[in-house]
Amino acid sequence: MADDRKGMKLSRRSFLKGIGGGALGGAALSTGLIQSEPAQAYSPETSGAARGKTPVTLKVNGKTYRVEVEHRNTLAEVLRDELGLTGTKIGCDRGECGACTVIINGRNMYSCSQLAVWMEGKDILTVEGLAKGDKLDPIQEAFIEHDGPQCGFCTSGQIMSGKALLLKNAKPTEAQARRGLSGNLCRCGNYNREVAAVLAAAKTL
Amino acid sequence: MAQAQKEFSIIGKRTPRIDAYERVTGQAQYTGDIQLPAMLYARVLRSTVPHAKIVSIDTSKAEKLPGVKAVIHYENAKVPWSSGGHTHQRFIFNNPVRYVGDPVAAVAATDRHIAEDALKLIEVKYEKIPHVLDPNEALKPDAPKIAPNGNLSVGKGAFSAPIEESWGDLETGFKEADRVFEDTYISKHVNNAQLERRVSIAKWDAGKLTVFASTQGVSNARTDIAKDFGLPLSKVRIVCKYMGGGFGNKNQAQDYDYMAVVLAKVTAQPVKLEFTREDDYIGMHGRWSSEQHYKIGVKNDGTITAVSLDAVTNMGAYRKQSGNLSGTDFYNIPNFKKVIKPVHTNTVVAANYRAPAYPQSVFGFASFLDQIAFELGVNPLDMFTRNRAQKAKGKLDFTSNYLEQCILEGSKRIAWSEKWHKPGAAAGPNKHGIGMALGGYPFRPGLGAATVRINPDGTAHVLVGVTDIGTGAKSTMALIASEALGIPLNQIQLTNGDTDVTPYSVGESGSRTTAFTGPAVVAAAEDVRKQIFALAAPKLKSKAEDLDLRDGQVFRKSDPAEKISLGQIVKDSGDLIGRATTNPNFPKEMDGKSFSAHFAEVEVDTWTGHVRITRYVAAHDSGTILNRLAAESQIKGGVVQGIGMAFSEELLIDRVTGIPINPNYRDAKVPTHLEAPEVEVIFVEHFDPYGVFGGKVVGEPPITAAVATIANAIFNATGKRFKELPITPDKIVRAVQV
Repeated sequence: MADDRKGMKLSRRSFLKGIGGGALGGAALSTGLIQSEPAQAYSPETSGAARGKTPVTLKVNGKTYRVEVEHRNTLAEVLRDELGLTGTKIGCDRGECGACTVIINGRNMYSCSQLAVWMEGKDILTVEGLAKGDKLDPIQEAFIEHDGPQCGFCTSGQIMSGKALLLKNAKPTEAQARRGLSGNLCRCGNYNREVAAVLAAAKTL
Repeated sequence: MAQAQKEFSIIGKRTPRIDAYERVTGQAQYTGDIQLPAMLYARVLRSTVPHAKIVSIDTSKAEKLPGVKAVIHYENAKVPWSSGGHTHQRFIFNNPVRYVGDPVAAVAATDRHIAEDALKLIEVKYEKIPHVLDPNEALKPDAPKIAPNGNLSVGKGAFSAPIEESWGDLETGFKEADRVFEDTYISKHVNNAQLERRVSIAKWDAGKLTVFASTQGVSNARTDIAKDFGLPLSKVRIVCKYMGGGFGNKNQAQDYDYMAVVLAKVTAQPVKLEFTREDDYIGMHGRWSSEQHYKIGVKNDGTITAVSLDAVTNMGAYRKQSGNLSGTDFYNIPNFKKVIKPVHTNTVVAANYRAPAYPQSVFGFASFLDQIAFELGVNPLDMFTRNRAQKAKGKLDFTSNYLEQCILEGSKRIAWSEKWHKPGAAAGPNKHGIGMALGGYPFRPGLGAATVRINPDGTAHVLVGVTDIGTGAKSTMALIASEALGIPLNQIQLTNGDTDVTPYSVGESGSRTTAFTGPAVVAAAEDVRKQIFALAAPKLKSKAEDLDLRDGQVFRKSDPAEKISLGQIVKDSGDLIGRATTNPNFPKEMDGKSFSAHFAEVEVDTWTGHVRITRYVAAHDSGTILNRLAAESQIKGGVVQGIGMAFSEELLIDRVTGIPINPNYRDAKVPTHLEAPEVEVIFVEHFDPYGVFGGKVVGEPPITAAVATIANAIFNATGKRFKELPITPDKIVRAVQV
């Protein structure tokens, strides 16, 4: 995250994020005031929905979306439920499996572990944004050719981590490809195929 | 069904899946991706205690939370779940609750977070009942009773207990033995852990129920729901187009489907019920753990004379599946007896996970055989080759059996004779080891149905009830149709997984889809080809019997230059429809199996206990391989799941509270890219006379031998035998440093 902030102007939102999330950050954002209340114990009746929604501008796959979100809504949820971009999957919703991986400002990140309200001004790329019209991205072609998807539920995440790796390192070794994908679980165990697909895509670059 | 082997046009090639494009572009719509107007979200509240009577449940606060539309529980939603338990009636909510994770209530709300918030406002008063977590303790007479009949899980038919099987005569077998060995091996509960969390969407329209399920079988899900809700099959529609893995724990309809159905009924709105990952680990089922006690008689040369297996399998609080152990299937055992006791405990339910009765059981038996080989001074390769299955149950012929070739080709590829050394012989802290084991899975064809429609432009539409849980079933059915019809694959459209549209399919379990539905696709194709040839005969001035169809062209067999495109023939005929319901079988006195021999090389760091698999070779006899690309992927993936089971995975239950400690990916330690070796796949390919186009089964065999193969390689490296899974670094360090 530190890298992301470099060179960015300090917006009100990123400032608030900087001073802390949780109850304080949430309450402050929803009222537009910065109050120094002590953090309150969690209460279902007053959490989330009761606090209303915040508008946020999301830049996804080159398009700009204006959405209203609750502070507790993750980027993964908003992509799927609000923008209809269901190619991003949620496998664990706790930052373990990588099915929700998207590319944010050039880095692969778990979208289940990013709040949507943090995304103002960031460049988000999802699996739906890879193809140029009818022309698939080389990594998508390679995933088809090398049988990358078995059940396919982790595939978007594997592809986005592979894409992020290739953006940084166009000629990864096999070990680098494995490491680059290591945050993406595949319970079908199709790891050989996914690595092979990333290496094959690299050859076409 | 017996057919002659022939040259194929597309069968046996490396064909990318027909829906790969949808899967790599994010366009494949899985159940959880479906959004319906006015849809509500539902969440499940689970028991926090292992065994208790619910004295009261107060949902008033939850109901008052804005956005909450309905709360259901055992008092207001007493719906039976027939396939959820086979010793006594199980409901979707039970009182008493019998394990930590037993559903207590479900909430539907306008938003998933509101539903989650509402769960926290439900007040449940439990009156605790003594509980038992250990299966051996559970069998003691004074143990708390979990099922009405006691803790030995006695159900009807396939769910009886103990599970007993025998042939030959044990006493004679042990008398013939030069040596008799006895030992105990232990496997643990591991979760299927498929990436797609369970999700179900239910909606009612004028008395008709539609469930978008994440199920391995739409037909059996429909049967379950119709039965338990008292509906005719015509009023229930189950749809599952894309499925994010299941490995056995999403077959049929499950309690969460039922909860969505009830919530949709009481709210009169569509309801999407989603599991959390923790729900998924504890709320459904994983693989049954086992304690396997073997007594094995052998000749001095290693030949098995008798095997007796006494085992206990832990089925958790309800009996959903058999609890059997079948790892002895791949060996020639002249005298055999097994007695397996499936037992209830107050723990997470155990049922089907990829080859349910095999990998844990192969681990026990093949580890012990490897140990006996060591004690006899016999090379394990000789031990396994000598005792490989040649007849089933000591007497039945297999429809085809190339296990010996699997052993030969696999051992050659890994260079067994050069690489094998005496166990623990290597000097230094990093020890090389090599190991092997035999595996496979039953094969038997059965009931299937298919419809093939020829459009007026000569393209085809195949309708099959199969789901595709990652096996490539949709692609396999399209390949079979293409081959049988003589129409190129890219001119075939396939519709699957919708009980209102597609005919019966057995469901993707037991590696049965190809063997059950495949023959129906072939027969439906033959049916429609007859209609095509009848139309074409006058146009080609030929008898229908003299016509053939290939690459979309109908031609005279006697003069292939005389041809007309299929589109020309059918353009004025509306749709031609071929259909078939088939139920092939083979004689009772035969047995069918796919076989495998697996080989691994490992490097064990005896200072850290870390094991690296440096080479893995999997040789498989699955008959003809219909799609080499997808079949190889299946083998590779099955091995990786076996690696998780061998090294790290175990659902830990707190011994005092009964609470599962690690119900998530991180703590349950599912293998990642970093643990997966390159798996070299060998297909020993031979046509099976009873398989569709000669194919047997592929999906389940690869996990069966993997665990034992790795365990035996670790033995060869360290000279230490690990009799309890998983073989974690701490166990290795403790063993080698003693």
